[in-house]
Formats: sequence, structure tokens, C-alpha cells
Amino acid sequence: MSSERILVVEDEAHLAEVIVDNLQLEGWQVDSVSQGEQALERLLGDPPDLVLLDVMLPGIDGFEICERLRASGSRLPVLFLTARSSLDDRVRGLELGGDDYLGKPFELSELIQRVRAILRRAEWSRSPSPVGDTLTLGKAVVDFKSFSARTGERVIELSPKETLILRCLAERPGEVVSRRDILDTVWGYDAFPTARTIDNFIVRLRRLLEPDARAPRYIHTVRGTGYRLTP
Amino acid sequence: MTAASDSRRTSVALPLRLYVGIVGAYVALIGWWVYFFSRLGDNLAAQLAANGRALDPEQASALRAELGRTARMFLFEGGFLGLLLLASVMLVLRSLRREVALGQQQRNFVSAVTHELRSPLASIKLYLESLATGRATGEKAARYVSHAQQDVERLESMVEDVLTTRQLDEGRLRAQLVPLDLAAWVREACARLGERYTTEGVTLRLNAPAPAPVNADEQALLRILDNLVSNAVKYGGEGGVVEVGVSSQGGRVELSVRDHGVGLPEGEAAALTEPFVRGGDEQVRTRPGVGLGLFIVRELVAAHGGRLRLRSASAGAGTCAVVELPRAAELAS
Repeated sequence: MSSERILVVEDEAHLAEVIVDNLQLEGWQVDSVSQGEQALERLLGDPPDLVLLDVMLPGIDGFEICERLRASGSRLPVLFLTARSSLDDRVRGLELGGDDYLGKPFELSELIQRVRAILRRAEWSRSPSPVGDTLTLGKAVVDFKSFSARTGERVIELSPKETLILRCLAERPGEVVSRRDILDTVWGYDAFPTARTIDNFIVRLRRLLEPDARAPRYIHTVRGTGYRLTP
Repeated sequence: MTAASDSRRTSVALPLRLYVGIVGAYVALIGWWVYFFSRLGDNLAAQLAANGRALDPEQASALRAELGRTARMFLFEGGFLGLLLLASVMLVLRSLRREVALGQQQRNFVSAVTHELRSPLASIKLYLESLATGRATGEKAARYVSHAQQDVERLESMVEDVLTTRQLDEGRLRAQLVPLDLAAWVREACARLGERYTTEGVTLRLNAPAPAPVNADEQALLRILDNLVSNAVKYGGEGGVVEVGVSSQGGRVELSVRDHGVGLPEGEAAALTEPFVRGGDEQVRTRPGVGLGLFIVRELVAAHGGRLRLRSASAGAGTCAVVELPRAAELAS
């Protein structure tokens, strides 16, 4: 039986009820709140393992809750669950640090699948990597735990996604990892970002870590497939 | 029944046509001026040639006078048309601003309707899926069925609001007026509504002591009362009290619905009876609704020859909606 704690932030009482009941049936410990302020207080004071966050809430809205959560340094996984499912809203939700976005109405099985995927990813990102806590690429040493890299005296802050992409590649050294695999591992089930998003992250990582970003020595592109890391 | 206000049916077509017409006239006039000047130049050249490259003083004076007249004409006509052009530009800009505001209002409406449709749809879908897959049984199943029914009613009411608005817009809704005692009618209606709201912890307090004869359409009255009470419940705070009253004032009968909730910000009352307009307060915007309820009430009341007033002592002090209807002759029994 899983014991992860999930907080459902939803002001529609009926929807909150049926979500809570069904997630509890899956073995998770689930609780719900209906107000923005109440939600933020709970998330900062006693953070669960995952929050399902509606956007339109009385008081502080879901986007702002996520923004404040991230500003406080929290990496708590956030799944937006909302009737506002326009492209702009989805992009905004993910830009603010949301991990996934599910538009209402949705299938129960889809919700459960996404919750499982996010929790699995969160577990993976928290667990110690089989390749250790650090990755050495020439003069650069990436620390998976502190989300940073050191090149000589210089310390570079990496975003959680950048760190996890490196970790994903590092756990399969010398292997070609497809863009799809990276998306599934780092972003998750039916991830919204396109494969191009990975390319943008890789460009930035090369700029930060490679001696010459135009002629990469460590992070190689395998045309039409993905990337290969050769430490 | 009166048609809905035409004020929001703005169009840029008329000001644009006017604008194009004025610009056309301006261009034609400038063309004429150019032609006039070229003729003037030709005349001058011909006269210079005829007089051995010299104008006699009389001709020079006549020419100066002619040029002076032309300059004054230019000043007058050009200035006048310039003003017209400016006015037309302002008209076009104003229409465009209204058009943009209307477009925004309609986008908000579509977004609100979409949101309002999706939320109950999402819970109905999950309730049904839980029932179909046996995840909900016994008491839980009964509760799910009841909640799904409430969500269906909510959807039904919203669709009804949208259709009524359409009918009001097209002037197709007709009131079937019959004589009735509003006080007795409201007592009966509140008993039915009370049952629905008691489960939500809301108390309907009724004060309709004396007969109040009116000529009214019962369907429309039910819609008016239901919309006002539902608003009072929605914005009246949790477990609130809603007071419904019927009284006679001279030749008028008043139906009032009062809550003790968030109230109305100053100056917002009139705007709230316009279609697709919702209160600016955070507590209001985040409640379910698309901004049609009070508009429908206003139009239905107007169809009875009455009017709707919204009062609030101050923001946070509750809202009182008053429906004024003309008092009818005393009822026979």
C-alpha cells in the first residue's frame, strides 16, 4: 500500500469529494482544501508529496499558489487540474513551475495514471542516483543534490529540470537516450513540452558545461534520435 | 416582452462609412483645388505672354484679390472638412473601443461558460465512472447519484440562462400575465426553494404578511425568485440567512431578497444587471456563474412593467435586490 500524501485544492465540493474518494481507494492519503490561502498555508507548513491544484480558487488563485511555492524554494510536485485548459493557461502553469496539467473534464484512469507518474518521478529525483551524487564532465562537476555545477572556482546554479536531464543521461552512460525517454523521465506521462524543449535545455547545458558548446565533447546529439552522454 | 438593450449591439459600419465618405469628399476637394490652381497658373501665363511678360496694375490687383478669396475659401473649407475628419476619426475610435470591449466581454463570457460547463461535467463524469466501475457502492453510490443530479441541474440552469438571453435578445420571449397574489405565491415558492437550500445550510426567512395583487407570468416569477435567491445564497456567505419579503407601497408591489454577504462595491449595482457582467470582487468572480442571472431578472421584470433595483449599504454589508411590480386590482378571492 502506498503511503504518499496528496492534497487536493479544489473549490468545487462535488469534484473534490469524488477525486479524494478515488485517490484514497488507490491507497494514497488524501485531503482537500477549498480556499487559496488555506492551501498555501498547508503547502508551506506541512507539505504533502503532491498537490492537485485548481486554478480558479477563492482568494489566491492556483497559479499564484504555485508561484509562491516555488519562490519559497519548494520542489513539491504540482499537478494543475483545471477547467482553464487553453494553450496559454497550460504554458503559464508549466512556466510557473507546475509539473503537469490536466484539463477538466478528465477520465479517472488518466488522473490516476498521471498522479502515479508524478509521484514516481518525484521518488526517482529524490532517490540517490546509481551513478552517485555527482557527475564529472571535464573540469565541470555537477552535483545532483544541490542542483548546481562547479567549474574551477565558479559555481553555476542549475534548474531542477536541467539537473534531472543530466542525471537521466548520466544513468545511461554511452547509450543513446531518445528525446521521448527524456521527456517521460523528467517531465512525465503525456508531457506537454515538445521534444524541441529538450533541445533548448541541451543547448543551455552545453553552454554552461562544455569547453566549446559548438563542438561538444560530452553531450552528443544523435541525429533524429536523441542524446548520448560520454563522461 | 421588451427586447434586450441594443446598446451592446455596436457596430463600426456606420462611422466607417461616414469616415470613408468624408475622406472621399476631402480628396475630391483637394483635386478640385489642384485643378483650380493649375487653371489659375495657365491664365496667368497666358496673360503674361499677351502683355509682353508684364501684368498691368489692374490685372495684378484683380489677380491678388482672386488669390486672396481663394486662400480664404481654402482656409474655411479645409478647416471645416478637417474638423469633420477629426470628428469622424473620434467616432471610429470610440466605436472600435466599444467593439474591443464587447469582444473582450464575449470572450470572458465564452471562457466563463466553458469553465462553468467543465466543472460540473468533470464531477458528473467521475461520479458515473466510479459507479460504473464499482468503485462506489451502497451509501456512497446513493450520494454520488444525488450529487451528479445536482450537477446536471446546474448545467441545465446554465443552458436555460443562455437560451433565455438569446430569446430576450431576439425579442421572442412573451410574458403570459395572469392575476395572482404575489405574497401567497412567494410563500408557496419559498417552501419549495427552502427544501433545496436547507441541505446547503441556508435558511430562507419569509416576510409576506399581506395580500399583494399583481399581474404576472408564473414561469417568469419563478425564474426571478430563483435567480435572486440563488445569488443571495451564492454570495451570502456559508450557512447564511436569506430574507425574502413582499410588501405593497402605494401603486407598487415590492418583492425583496436580501443577503448578509459580500455586498456590492459602490457604483457597481447598475453594471451588474448588464449581460455577462460579474462583480469585480474576488469572492464574486471565483463563484460559479456567467453573469446572466441579474440581466435575465431585469428583463423579465421589465416585461411586467416593473423594475429591478440593487442596494447595498456598503461593500461587505450584504445586498438587497428589490423587484418593483405595478399593483393590480384587488383579487376576487
